[in-house]
Amino acid sequence: MANVLWLQGGACSGNTMSFLDAEEPTVVELITDFGINILWHPTVGLEIGHQVSDLLNSCLKGETQLDIFVFEGSIVQGPNGTGQMNFFADRPMKDWVKELSEVAQFVVAIGDCATYGGIPAVPPNPSESTGMQFHKRDKGGFLGSGFVSKGGLPVINIPGCPAHPDWITQILVAISTGRIGDVLIDHYHRPKTFFTDFVQTGCTNAAAFGEKIDGAFGKRGGCLFYEVGCRGPMTHASCNRILWNRQNSKTRANHPCLGCTEPGFPHHDLKKGSIFKTMKYLNVFPKEVPEGESKLGYYFKAGMHKVLPTNNALKASSK
Amino acid sequence: MSHIKELNISPVGRVEGDLDVKVFMQDGVVTRAHTQAAMYRGFEKILVGKDPQAGLIVTPRACGICGGSHLYCASSALDVAWGTTLPPNALLLRAIGQATETIQSIPRWFYAIFATDLANKKFANKPLYQEVVKRFAAYVGTSFQKGVTASGRPVEVYALFGGQWPHSSYMVPGGVMCAPTLKDITRAHSIMNHFRNDWLETVWLGCSIERYLEIKSWDDMLAWVEENESQRNSDLGLFIRASLEFGLDKFGQGVGKYLAWGTYLHKDLYQKPTIEGRNPATISPSGFFDGKNYHEADQKQVREHVTHSWYENQDDSMHPFDQPAPSGSLNSTILENTDFNGKYSWAKAPRFMEYAAETGPLARVIMAANPANTSHQFQDPLFGDIMDKMGPSVFTRALARVHEAPRLYNMINKWLSEVNLDEAFYIKPEEKDGVGWGATEAARGALAHWIKIKDGVIENYQIIAPTTFNVGPNDSQGNSGPIEAALEGTEIEDPHDPVEVGLVARSFDSCLVCTVHAHDEKTGKELAKFKL
Repeated sequence: MANVLWLQGGACSGNTMSFLDAEEPTVVELITDFGINILWHPTVGLEIGHQVSDLLNSCLKGETQLDIFVFEGSIVQGPNGTGQMNFFADRPMKDWVKELSEVAQFVVAIGDCATYGGIPAVPPNPSESTGMQFHKRDKGGFLGSGFVSKGGLPVINIPGCPAHPDWITQILVAISTGRIGDVLIDHYHRPKTFFTDFVQTGCTNAAAFGEKIDGAFGKRGGCLFYEVGCRGPMTHASCNRILWNRQNSKTRANHPCLGCTEPGFPHHDLKKGSIFKTMKYLNVFPKEVPEGESKLGYYFKAGMHKVLPTNNALKASSK
Repeated sequence: MSHIKELNISPVGRVEGDLDVKVFMQDGVVTRAHTQAAMYRGFEKILVGKDPQAGLIVTPRACGICGGSHLYCASSALDVAWGTTLPPNALLLRAIGQATETIQSIPRWFYAIFATDLANKKFANKPLYQEVVKRFAAYVGTSFQKGVTASGRPVEVYALFGGQWPHSSYMVPGGVMCAPTLKDITRAHSIMNHFRNDWLETVWLGCSIERYLEIKSWDDMLAWVEENESQRNSDLGLFIRASLEFGLDKFGQGVGKYLAWGTYLHKDLYQKPTIEGRNPATISPSGFFDGKNYHEADQKQVREHVTHSWYENQDDSMHPFDQPAPSGSLNSTILENTDFNGKYSWAKAPRFMEYAAETGPLARVIMAANPANTSHQFQDPLFGDIMDKMGPSVFTRALARVHEAPRLYNMINKWLSEVNLDEAFYIKPEEKDGVGWGATEAARGALAHWIKIKDGVIENYQIIAPTTFNVGPNDSQGNSGPIEAALEGTEIEDPHDPVEVGLVARSFDSCLVCTVHAHDEKTGKELAKFKL
């Protein structure tokens, strides 16, 4: 039995919507069969009004055991550090977050806003948003780089915009079934079990990537890395292994990976020329190369591929 | 501060932050209500100076429930600004995306947000109460899990074309990114068929979609309920009977004026996107209904007021194209300390022809009853008749929401069958400076984006969401917003548990958490406070 409290700050509910699409287990099964007791959630919570603030205070006093504190959305600190741009139950939300994080066994940040600051934190960051323990790539964020929860772990980050429902439910099940020891986290506090391989792992266009065959919008087949800015080769996530909505993934639907599980998202801060276009030097060399490759080495290899007499015209797959 | 002794199952509908409502009561009747939006992120401000296509990524994240609707607007606004050419397939696949997101939201809203309120103890002495609790109670209701699970199926179809739901960006200026194959189309038909067999015809209607769509008047609807046991006892049959028994048709009227931008641009009628050419091309029709007459939903008639909003660098009654990017720097306050004569919300107060207007499914079905609709548009007289016979109410609004499911189901299958696998899905546009407007109907109402592109970057981006229309504060003339107006006159049976307020607010499916503070008009003493 694990008590879970889920709150939202500068959020859009995208992670909640994603969570409600979970299949094995469904949200209802999570509650009825896996011993997850949702103390409260903004969309499916049963308590209202003062019952909510009473419940939060009960957690703070230690009367109610808070096993897992889940936070979705950015920590809104504006204006001028007051947090008044996001009130919740008569206080700035950030004050609740700070105090609840101190009493929770484990703290889980769900989605990019809670992990790294996400879209709200894009300059000029009007709401002074930040992530729970990171601000973009920098450790620290709202709770500070030294934060460790009562259970002995820093904030567990489940990034993504939104996070895949499995990434959420499986971690909750792992904690509630006593397997927290198997949850290994990487440099950005992401569970390695989901965030070691790349989005490209399992992409149906991986062969076209190897053969340097350009894809394009509205075309069947080809690789989106070269022209429309796909970030599959440098983004850690399991989108092409476990699929979305049981059906598909962005890259399988001919949609460039936006790199949303990495702390740079949205990459290049949405500047001119960075959306659905591969940023290049001299209109030839991609500014970003697959992770683990040196730029020069990659340009050499790719260049050889381009000039060798291979047939690298797009052979469109059948309708 | 009094203590609420007993609370009932009441899920919270929250998407874009917190909404607080202050309610003043006298002799058990709401005399005045103010809505307060209590969270600010500044998305429009973030977009200024960014790549013109930034809205395709950023705006879906304004709202995770209506992300696909924001994408529909963002891509449409760029189509207009860049003067793209849209192949029929692109319009079909965008319509399918919009429709699957909307139909997904119907069971999810009904079971998780709305129907659990019918299990409130207020109705415990009513004959149908036991059956309502058995079916609609949160988590444990016999229909609750069926409905919530079924709601995930239509967005699987969205994922077939967009890669995932929520937060795909597959609709782009010039068309769509995807180039589906035969198996995507056939699988989409099969998934929708599951949705029909698992929930729509079996649990919800208790009859075929075709039979339900024969209903043309309120009398037809009542006759349909009593026609046989299967319909009478379906979730829809029970919802109608319980609503009338519980009196949900007696309160929550609102401002009586309705706005719909319409949506689902016809595949052959919007190849050359322009602002002027948009409304005639919609399949779900647009319009403004003032309670007597229909008017054109001309985006030029939109104004936003900020007298009561925490923004300081603009005047009242400005059109979105003329507004500066908002600068939220005024100090907001918690509800207790708010002076409602001054600024009290992060929401602006949008007006149409200077009227507060309700947006949402009720507005849409009222437009569908417009006798002037053309042959490619919805023609459905039902809600014209219901508005004449019953008028607006919590029940009318909720019935409008669920009424859309059978028709949308048929439309999704029709559009899937019209996708031509040999033709283009995307025509690469030329990027240029300009202005654009894109609009749609999100599940909960009229949504529009206004964009200005200058020197190759976004100069201004304005979004007006349906919730802004519905929950906006007073305008500069002191006129209430739709939810504020709908709360006025509501009888509160138990001030410690004002479920009636919850029902009114949830009938709009406001995208925000609401904290309702009920105050006694005479003493100013706070009676109850709770989240919606």
